[in-house]
Amino acid sequence: MSLLKIENLSKSYQEATGRLEVLRNVNLEVTTGDMIAITGESGSGKSTLLHLMGMLDKPDSGAIYYSNKKIEMKDRNISEFRNKTIGFVFQFHYLLEDFTAEENVAMPMFLASRNFKKSLQEAQKLLKALDIYERRDHYPNQLSGGEQQRVAVARALINSPEIIFADEPTGNLDAKHSDELIDLLLELNKQKKHTFVVVTHNLEIARKMHKTLVLENGVLRELK
Amino acid sequence: MNKIILYFLKKYISSPKKEWLRFDSIFMVVGIIVSVSTLTVALSIFEGYETVLKKTILGVNSHIYVFNSTNGNLQEKNVTEISGFLASRPEVDNSAAVIITQAMASNKSKVKGAIVRGIDWEQDKQPTSYRKFVFQGSYKMEKPDDAVLGYRIAKELGLNIGDSFKLVSSMNSKITPLGMKPKQQEFEVVGLYRSGMYEYDSKYVFLNIETLAEFCSLQDEYTMLEIKLNPEQIERADYLAYRWEQEFEHRYQFNSWIDFNGNLFSLLKVEKWVIFLILSFLILVASFNVVTSVSTSIIEKRKELGILKAFGATNKILQKIFIGKTLIIAVMAVSLGQILGVLIAEFLSWQTFFMLKGDVYFLDKINVEFSLISWVIIFFVSLFIVFFASVIPLKNIAKLEITDILRNS
Repeated sequence: MSLLKIENLSKSYQEATGRLEVLRNVNLEVTTGDMIAITGESGSGKSTLLHLMGMLDKPDSGAIYYSNKKIEMKDRNISEFRNKTIGFVFQFHYLLEDFTAEENVAMPMFLASRNFKKSLQEAQKLLKALDIYERRDHYPNQLSGGEQQRVAVARALINSPEIIFADEPTGNLDAKHSDELIDLLLELNKQKKHTFVVVTHNLEIARKMHKTLVLENGVLRELK
Repeated sequence: MNKIILYFLKKYISSPKKEWLRFDSIFMVVGIIVSVSTLTVALSIFEGYETVLKKTILGVNSHIYVFNSTNGNLQEKNVTEISGFLASRPEVDNSAAVIITQAMASNKSKVKGAIVRGIDWEQDKQPTSYRKFVFQGSYKMEKPDDAVLGYRIAKELGLNIGDSFKLVSSMNSKITPLGMKPKQQEFEVVGLYRSGMYEYDSKYVFLNIETLAEFCSLQDEYTMLEIKLNPEQIERADYLAYRWEQEFEHRYQFNSWIDFNGNLFSLLKVEKWVIFLILSFLILVASFNVVTSVSTSIIEKRKELGILKAFGATNKILQKIFIGKTLIIAVMAVSLGQILGVLIAEFLSWQTFFMLKGDVYFLDKINVEFSLISWVIIFFVSLFIVFFASVIPLKNIAKLEITDILRNS
């Protein structure tokens, strides 16, 4: 079943030297349970594409469909839609510094449900599942890079989103933690059927996914 | 309040970072405290002045004065007629006929203009608070030449209890072969009077009514009749004077304290609120710090705001969190400002090195009073101004682009 479909997505930025076209009529379809890698050189527009698909930015042209329904940034309930449908894992964990690991994980659910107790219980379950429960009361600066990224993954999962976008999730990790994180994502996909779109410039990681797409000169094509 | 906002506010207060101790936050708090305390001091002084002045004027003076409409003095029969009428009025507490004249009081080379009041000091209930204000010596003028003086006039003439002074009146002059000879008589100071009203303390000389009648060559005549009303009728003095004057078919002229002082109190009320309005601008100026502080906080928290937005926090929720944070600080700052204002006002009323000019302001002491309504008005007006100032920079939250934040962090 088509979970996400993008049609003729284009995006450009005004630079000092002229208009830079980052995406040119990009098309993509993601079905439930997919694990897709988007790779490409630095500056090729991978993150831009991810932000557009994650409804964090608006395209110049083209359309984005979730479960065959057109979704736009100007929609009134776009925050609620993003909260319930999409999960994000960023290269830099982007955890809230004033909140503990479990509070960070609980945050998206708390924003949606406004039930802090239930959100914390769910966060603790996820932290247990991701083997980081003992560190739940620690603040982000008291966690290692790998632990921070696991907390970020737990945060992305807490609202059971339909799709999770990971932007260079291993970009800031050493090889060991990087492998552990990718294995964790693969495991979550296999066991819980979570859908992932992972942006990475690491081809080795990309090859572990079901499908690898490469973004070159603003055009997205499948890497065989 | 929304649970999310409460949760964030709790976190903000208990945060080990103590965000509210940031330089711009402290600057904002100090600005609010200073402006609110200034406003509190100004209003409490105005209220104190108004209350004490009213209390003093109404305490020192009677509430209704009855004169003869034909410009002459009241005759004994007039006084009897009016007193008879007043005896049946439930609004009246007491009344008394008095003689008032102007004279020069002198002691050796010192001379001072005086208002001489002839009163029946033996009367139990007096329309004016004479006995209460005699603070030194005795209020009893048992001998015909006994006199009680306002303490300021006594001081200016260098008189103490037991000293003698002369009253000289050109109004009661005698024709002699050498020309007009002003009436003069020697009196002895038996008591000193202090009402708190500069005008009275520096001009009043009290004499026994019979003595003054003789001094003025009056036979069964009085300058006026003074009426003291029951406390609950004081504000109705104007109306009662009007009604009673009609009852006597305008044969007598009834004037109330409002006729003489009403404009002053109306002016004081207007001035109080003009001062409030002007000093509210201080809070407005202090609220510029609020705009700066909230703007700084938004820039500082840019990354967190971007993350929260990415995970579904709406602009409205984020804006409410910032308003909540500012209001917590504002409530504390306004309360501290009011407390500081009360302390400063109390100090001003207690100190003696800075006094008002009594001849200009009637009272020489700074009096303060704190009314609940003024407190509430200052509190809410200040909070409203701060709230309004905090809302101005909040539109920047809606302008924050998540992708810009993620890219630039």
